[in-house]
Amino acid sequence: MMSKVGLIIKREYGARVKKRSFLLITAFVPLLVAGLVFLAMWFSIQEIKQINVLVVDPGNLCHGKVFTGDETNAPAIFSFVQEDVSLDDFQHHETYNGFDLMLGIQAQVITNKGIKGVYREPITPKAEYYIKDKIELRLEEYFALDRGISINEYRQIRQEFNFNLSSIDPDAQDMTYARWVGIVFSTLIFLFIYIYASQVTHGVLEEKTSRIVEILVSSVKPFQLMIGKIIGIGLVGLTQFAIWIVLIGLSLFLMREFIFQDILNPEVLADAMTNAGNLTGDAMSGQSSQIMKDSALIDVIYNGVPWSTLLFLFLIYFIGGYLLFGAIFAIVGAAVDSETDSHQAMLPVQLIVIFIYVIGCFVVFNPSGATAMWLSQIPFTSPFIMLQRISAGAVHYTELLLSLLLLAVTIFVTLKGAAKVYRTGILMYGKKASWKEIFKWLRYSK
Amino acid sequence: MEVLRVENIVKQYAGHTALDDISIGTKKGEIFGLLGPNGAGKTTLIRVINQIIGPDSGKVFLDGKPIHPEDVAKIGYLPEERGLYKKMKVYDQVMYFARLKGMGKVEAKRKIDHWFEKFEITSWYNRKVEELSKGMAQKIQFIITVLHEPKLLILDEPFSGFDPINAQLIRNEILELKKNGASILLSTHNMNSVEEICDSIALIDQSKLILNGKLAEVKKEFKSNTYAVQFKGMTFGFANALFADFSLEKSEQIDEDRAVAYVKLLKGNTLNHLLKTVMPVVEIESINEVIPSMKDVFIQAVQGKKGGNDE
Repeated sequence: MMSKVGLIIKREYGARVKKRSFLLITAFVPLLVAGLVFLAMWFSIQEIKQINVLVVDPGNLCHGKVFTGDETNAPAIFSFVQEDVSLDDFQHHETYNGFDLMLGIQAQVITNKGIKGVYREPITPKAEYYIKDKIELRLEEYFALDRGISINEYRQIRQEFNFNLSSIDPDAQDMTYARWVGIVFSTLIFLFIYIYASQVTHGVLEEKTSRIVEILVSSVKPFQLMIGKIIGIGLVGLTQFAIWIVLIGLSLFLMREFIFQDILNPEVLADAMTNAGNLTGDAMSGQSSQIMKDSALIDVIYNGVPWSTLLFLFLIYFIGGYLLFGAIFAIVGAAVDSETDSHQAMLPVQLIVIFIYVIGCFVVFNPSGATAMWLSQIPFTSPFIMLQRISAGAVHYTELLLSLLLLAVTIFVTLKGAAKVYRTGILMYGKKASWKEIFKWLRYSK
Repeated sequence: MEVLRVENIVKQYAGHTALDDISIGTKKGEIFGLLGPNGAGKTTLIRVINQIIGPDSGKVFLDGKPIHPEDVAKIGYLPEERGLYKKMKVYDQVMYFARLKGMGKVEAKRKIDHWFEKFEITSWYNRKVEELSKGMAQKIQFIITVLHEPKLLILDEPFSGFDPINAQLIRNEILELKKNGASILLSTHNMNSVEEICDSIALIDQSKLILNGKLAEVKKEFKSNTYAVQFKGMTFGFANALFADFSLEKSEQIDEDRAVAYVKLLKGNTLNHLLKTVMPVVEIESINEVIPSMKDVFIQAVQGKKGGNDE
């Protein structure tokens, strides 16, 4: 009996893996991802082009006092002039050809808080942020001095507070970033179910419309046929996912080694972080604190996420969710009679899957709330929700056990029900079954 | 000993009865015709025998024992509406179905080679089914049905889709399978093929079994005591000679002075009586009892005009 299911799995798997479309998509997706990453990297390199800023500063508020550190690759460099430069001169006079941006700082800037500038080419947001940050800092210091506060006092005031929340439980880890890992897992489960569970519908329908099923059911039980198909297609999906992960990983690795050595090199990243650390004492800027946050993310990814537990549970919910929705999609395939009908009939189920996923994305903000708690128990939503709650450290193991138990029971019941509908539906030609009929089929005992 | 025995099968669906107390049996080396109008319940019965659906009550026996899921290996089923995986290669496909029937790889390969060589189609091995014509695909399906040498073959409209030459080929194969001891349940609307190859028949109409038995006996049952009398002489005189004891059903003129008259004997009259009556008026050339064709039997049985009723 098992060997028949094995044969069906083998056929379902082999037939799909050998398809040209499978090979194309399997190769194309990593290429696409690698291509997008390449473009993103490429553009981020392009951004590094330094902006030459001409600061027209008649009041001499800034000259020599804008702190730029010793960054070699700063997004902008500043030059100062005290005499007025007309727009016309800036535009046409060759003296100013080398400048990309002209900023005017009037003496009354402290009162009207207005700084105007003109650029030749639009400035990237990153460079604009940098320029604004530097000029603002200096002007604030000037403002402080004007009010009789010393520069040192002002810098102490300006320094960001290190806002650090931690659990009362000394063993608990900071899960802020780990939650996002949960979202990534939920997304993978969602994509997998969305892409491959719908293939179950098509597979069932193919056998039904071509009447192969007539020959098949005289050799195997409909349940064997259904479960073999669901598992076979699931394995195709796992193969594709595995190849994608390997190919995407490999292409990122190759890009780091050969194209973007500087950007993706961990040592360079580490240097940047050290620089940022040095900076904090002198002049705290938003940028440096951002780098600190980045390093916290990297730290959490390597040390803060309970990987082994999460990966294990990911696999379980992944398989459970797929089996559950695979059975439902098999029902859809058995209940309809043509490809056109199947798209219509699949839509509600697909929308429900999307809806659950979207809700799941909101759970990340309140993983301990009642909604999240309930959704992580309901078997149709738990595969999308539970991992986020676990990665946020919001789940007691009894909750987890209950959720898994409910999921297992529901899979069992759904597969049994699906088998009944399937058995009747696959031999029913020429019409689309109504929901009423499907429930009637569910009640047939034989 | 009966290979297949179906006993008191009842199958009801919401709103209608598909099979109402059906009992039939087929012997070893017998071709059994399962007949009936569309929607009579034949396909349901075949599905019950194939264990695709379960009956509400009644039993199916194979070789005298209640049928068991593992028995699918002993049955070969060629459904009326049949298909194959379009994108799959012919050889892989036949191998797949053989393995599903429980055959080992080596044995299956040997049998596949045997059948493909027999049909001279080994060149199709690596072709995809979508490249084959309908008749070619039908041949593959026939091979899939018989490959595992089942003792019971269930063939639903096996000749549909074949040209006359290939239909003849399949007919000969069926007869050979019969000779080798297979019991064959044949469901068809083609009454000619029923007459040619069936040993026994069962006729189902509106979920009920209305006829069952040896082909010759069933046909005998439908004899209407009618004789075809070929004679030389005037048809008018012949007709006049028949009084109230006989009924002239119809007559056909062969040439100017010869004709065939179909005469039904009424009220316990004998053939001798008829001869005495007509011999004085015409010169009799031959007399044959009219045996109804299966087509006539079918139509009469289904329309409730059983020949013996007025006897």
